Amino acid sequence: MASFIQSILDWLRSLFFKTEMELTLVGLQNSGKTTLVNVIASGAFQEDMIPTVGFNMRKVTKGNVTMKLWDIGGQPRFRSMWERYCRGVNAIVFVIDAADHDKLDAAKTELRNLLDKPQLANIPVLVLGNKNDLPGALTVDQIIEVMNLKQIANREVSCYSISAKNHVNIDITLQWLIKKGKGK
Amino acid sequence: MSYSKRDDDSGRIGYHHYFDKTTVLQEARVFNESPINARKCRALLTKILYLISMGETFGTTEATELFFSVTKLFQSKDAALRQMVYLVIKELSTVAEDVIMVTSSLMKDMQPTSEVMYRANAIRVLRKITDASMLQGLERFLKAAIVDKNAKVSSAALVSSYHLYAIAREVVKRWANEAQEAINAKPQSAVSAATSYMTSFGGSVPSAYNTVSNSNIVQYHALGLLYAIRQKDRMAVSKLVQNYAAKSGLSGSVLRSPFAQCLLVRYACKVMEEDPSSTRAVYELLEGWLRHKSDMVNLEAAKAICEIKGASTKELFPAVTVLQGFLSSGKPSVKFAAIRALNKLAMTQPAAVAPCNIDMENMITDQNRSISTFAITTLLKTGNEASVERLMKQISGFMSEIADESKVLVVEAVGSLCIKFPSKHHVMLSFLSGALRDDGGYDFKRAVVEAIFNFVKYIPESKEAALSHLCEIIEDCEYSKLSVKILHLLGVEGPKCPQPTKYIRYIYNRVILENAVVRGAAVSALAKFGVNVEDESVKQSVRVLLSRCLDDADDEVRDRATMYLDVMKTNDENSYIKDDSTYSLAYLERQLLNYISNPELADAPFDLSAVPKVSRQEEQERGVSDQLGSLPSLSGPGHSPPQSGSASNGAGAASRPSASTGPALDQQAAYAQKLSEVPEFASFGPLFKSSAKPVELTESETEYAVSCVKHVFGHHIVFQFNIKNTLNDIVLEDVNVLMTSVSEEASLVERALIPAPQLVYDVPGIVYVAFERTILEEYPECTFTNDLKFIVKDCDPQTGEPDEEGFEDDYQVEEVSLAVADYVMPSYIPSFTKTWEDLGGEYEVVETLALTTSPGLQEACRDLISLLGMHPLENSGTVQGSNVHTLYLSGIFLGGIPVLAQCRMTYDSSTGVTLKLGVRSASQDISMVMINAIA
Repeated sequence: MASFIQSILDWLRSLFFKTEMELTLVGLQNSGKTTLVNVIASGAFQEDMIPTVGFNMRKVTKGNVTMKLWDIGGQPRFRSMWERYCRGVNAIVFVIDAADHDKLDAAKTELRNLLDKPQLANIPVLVLGNKNDLPGALTVDQIIEVMNLKQIANREVSCYSISAKNHVNIDITLQWLIKKGKGK
Repeated sequence: MSYSKRDDDSGRIGYHHYFDKTTVLQEARVFNESPINARKCRALLTKILYLISMGETFGTTEATELFFSVTKLFQSKDAALRQMVYLVIKELSTVAEDVIMVTSSLMKDMQPTSEVMYRANAIRVLRKITDASMLQGLERFLKAAIVDKNAKVSSAALVSSYHLYAIAREVVKRWANEAQEAINAKPQSAVSAATSYMTSFGGSVPSAYNTVSNSNIVQYHALGLLYAIRQKDRMAVSKLVQNYAAKSGLSGSVLRSPFAQCLLVRYACKVMEEDPSSTRAVYELLEGWLRHKSDMVNLEAAKAICEIKGASTKELFPAVTVLQGFLSSGKPSVKFAAIRALNKLAMTQPAAVAPCNIDMENMITDQNRSISTFAITTLLKTGNEASVERLMKQISGFMSEIADESKVLVVEAVGSLCIKFPSKHHVMLSFLSGALRDDGGYDFKRAVVEAIFNFVKYIPESKEAALSHLCEIIEDCEYSKLSVKILHLLGVEGPKCPQPTKYIRYIYNRVILENAVVRGAAVSALAKFGVNVEDESVKQSVRVLLSRCLDDADDEVRDRATMYLDVMKTNDENSYIKDDSTYSLAYLERQLLNYISNPELADAPFDLSAVPKVSRQEEQERGVSDQLGSLPSLSGPGHSPPQSGSASNGAGAASRPSASTGPALDQQAAYAQKLSEVPEFASFGPLFKSSAKPVELTESETEYAVSCVKHVFGHHIVFQFNIKNTLNDIVLEDVNVLMTSVSEEASLVERALIPAPQLVYDVPGIVYVAFERTILEEYPECTFTNDLKFIVKDCDPQTGEPDEEGFEDDYQVEEVSLAVADYVMPSYIPSFTKTWEDLGGEYEVVETLALTTSPGLQEACRDLISLLGMHPLENSGTVQGSNVHTLYLSGIFLGGIPVLAQCRMTYDSSTGVTLKLGVRSASQDISMVMINAIA
């Protein structure tokens, strides 16, 4: 009986405290953005995706939070359009392929270009080093070092090392994101 | 709809009139709100579409901003909203940048898992935003969509493929099998695709979306795509037609859609056009379609039969019967289509339409004015002389009620009728002058005036009446263009009338009352009276009138008057007013272009003497023959316009030779354009002459069809070989033509050979061989044998991919010869005798010859014209007498030197034709060369 009342209370609470948040995922091509969105949405990992031409939009409900995920293509031709989809979102998620050392430099430049946009000031950024299951993947500290994350001022920056394939650290990523949603 | 009309239109609609582009762009912020208000967004999208449809344009930045805001709406699951999003993206796709951004979202929407409405529309939008480079990635999905069980999805994919074919031919080509499958698919879940855009925007997806219908529109779209893919391949098209037409003969045809059947009818006609030998087979197919159960197909087939060139009355009969049946149909659209087809047929084959006369009589009083107009104009063509008067009365009854276009139709019909029944000219003339008093636009008035011109031209007895009608028209004519036209005609025809003074009054009135353009024309017309009327008192009066024009306010008018007065004073009229020659305009244009584009020519003045002249009449006939396509009623084959017999070449047969010089010069301009693109020929200077018709060097049925065109330049001669490979399983590479002179002609040296790199099936290629005349004074005549040398490679007939390995082969074609005629261009001059005298006898060469090869005088004329390559003058191309004839020829020799030839011929049954040929030119050498062409 008590549990029944508890569930009704939960339901009522969810009615009143339901929050909706918007997130944008950006990052170079083949860093695992679309895969990550799929994992968050359905919990299933699918390998061998086709590159995203343009953007994908997914709505995901976790508990009483509804997340709108804008997953933008990472190919060079789409990078100039990242900013349009980052305006006014609760958080920007920047995904890196932690095992692809050659592209880290480009990733660093793109991230800095993006965060330099005045329209995006103060929006929290979460940098995710994806694919930490692969050999040679960078650790969190290395990513912070390489990406120069300490230099970023005036906004909240976090960094996790995750693996969409093995579901490593997906939960803490979600927690961080949901916190941003409720923070407002 | 024009932009300027927007204001009053939107005012009338009322609901929308309070918004404009600025407010709409302001409101576009609503797209970024969260959560999305679907209703509000949809209303705004509607406004955007409305603005676009009213002609409002968006700048690139505006459109891009708007587009990106709209893409945010993909998060909403509201189907009606999504539909508007699709529509707006389609409209913005041409203006906005980076529209490719929605590709992924659309691809998600077109997956088989989403709803039908999403899928079909997403496919259609996708083709608007995609480009050839993206297509590879989409191919798999589009192919699957083409064969989708749902008709809407399949149609959308087919139509999109059809559009994509233009930008990515190679990719879409691979989808032919899918298209074929779509045609053959069973209609089990046939859902009307035609409704895919007709859903209401009421809210949720309407249930009508799933109504079953049997329109089978997919077949129409699939057939269209198949044809687009195969249209370049004549064999494949004819196979396509045969295939589907044959199956339709049996019970239950494959093509259930009448639209698809109509399409097939059109393709069948195309097959017939391209391959005249198939006419019989196609005719039988068409006849079969006349019995199809759909009206639409019957009509299409009947129309196709009516348009077969040279069909006999018997062949037309079944089609006419079907159309006759439709005349009593209850549906106005069917009736209209049938009578229009009959009307068109009546222009060329009135006898075939005559059986429908009774039905058409009944239609004269039809409620629908368009139908009744067509009925009457058709009857005018098919009816006999007795009914003309009655019909004319009937039309005058409702002339004022019909639209301008129909009036033009009626007037044209009457105009052509006058040639058929000259005795009724007074009825028709009074009808036309009555029609002129009606209100009507320029096109209508022009049609009336042209019809009256026809009277003047073709019916001598009506000339005076027609001219006085024309005089009345210019008294009160609001269109300067028409006045000018009429004044010109009065100037030409008036002086020939018994009482020329009558017209002078009308013309001079124009000088007093009209604007400068008309005044100028009137002055010219007056001058013609002054010159052409013999009566001295008339000449004196014209002089007085012209001198009054000397203080006109307009420069042009004054100048004309001054010039004509001077001309009349000095009696130099022949070279100015009576001269009816004009330069061949296409040629002149080309020469001038060449002169302007070559800076080294700028030092010397432009040489007009090298430009051939044609008579004004020919130039006009060319203009008319260009128009004929749109205006066939004036000279249907039944009544070829009688020649006015002036300076044209060869009366009676005049239309043929003159038609051949005109287009030949146009053709030459096209050649010159092509040759100028070949860098090797850049130094050759301007093109002098191209042979008029390509000479066929092979039979038409051989493996390789070869024809040759000769181009003569100042010092060079270029042979152009057009080669077509008619075998679809081989590809020719590195095609050369080896030309070997039969006689050892030392002065011709081969300078360049430009091979055709590759010849694929049915695509003609060109090989050029260039020679230089090393001795400029010689104009060699010579015959060449020609061998094609090439590498043969086998290839797959389907894909056209050649094998790696090939072997060398050669192929002999017929000989080609270079003759004197190739160095001469036919040219018109107004007066042979005068020019003949002017040239003088200094370089005249005369020779007497027996023409053993020509059996008669007419043949001799023909041979001489073709041997010398010159233009016959003063109707001398046609033989009048039986024993004696003189042929006058004029031409321009290479280098712009005028050449004249006088050929006196006598015929005697025992000795044949004896010719005394005199040639005059500005050079002894050239005269000799010309003589030698015959000797």
